[in-house]
Amino acid sequence: MLLFRSEETVERWCEAHRVPRRPLVNLEQLWHLAVVWYENRLTAESRRPTPQDMVGIFASVGLEGPFWDPAADSWAGAS
Amino acid sequence: MSPDLDTTVKLHIYRAIAETTNAPSAAEVARDLGVGSSEVEAAFGRLYSRGLLVLEPGDPTRIRMAPPFSGIETAFPVEVRGRRYYANCVWDALGVPAALHEDAVIPASDGFSGEPITLEVRDGRPVPQECVIHFAVPAARWWHDIVYT
Repeated sequence: MLLFRSEETVERWCEAHRVPRRPLVNLEQLWHLAVVWYENRLTAESRRPTPQDMVGIFASVGLEGPFWDPAADSWAGAS
Repeated sequence: MSPDLDTTVKLHIYRAIAETTNAPSAAEVARDLGVGSSEVEAAFGRLYSRGLLVLEPGDPTRIRMAPPFSGIETAFPVEVRGRRYYANCVWDALGVPAALHEDAVIPASDGFSGEPITLEVRDGRPVPQECVIHFAVPAARWWHDIVYT
């Protein structure tokens, strides 16, 4: 994922790289994901969230649908 | 009960990075823990299988990523208490202060224009900043394309 100043520069990046525009996330949402993923990373108990965990974590900040599902068949073979 | 070797190795890696900003090699971890290099290399492989480490392509004794930290310099530096860490992406750049439970300054830039965009975490929250994050790769392909993602 990449950081952009605005949706305008996202559009220009997508055009330049000939890739489809995909979901945008705001700073508050990304901070929430960073905290959930990493706040315990320096402890013995830490682990990477399971695919099922991930779906729930994304949904908790409004990120839903197959794009955010690590087990989604529609994306697993996509390039 | 004492932790298993994988947990001991994982904790040592993360603590070494937190203290020095650099990812240790398998030989350095083996020396510090007083165990054999081959045992540590096997632990590196298991931690990779569990999605906790990414090893350097062609050299499984070196760490490319111990998320959120990068084992190499990247375009995502993170400044914490006078130290410069490197993250793997903008998500991981926020993950560094989240993991260290510290404030941080992240001198980033717009992915298209290169315009500087400084992100800051202060008192456990991001300072509001005009920006968006574009996810080009769907979650089902993140681990497959981890370096690109």
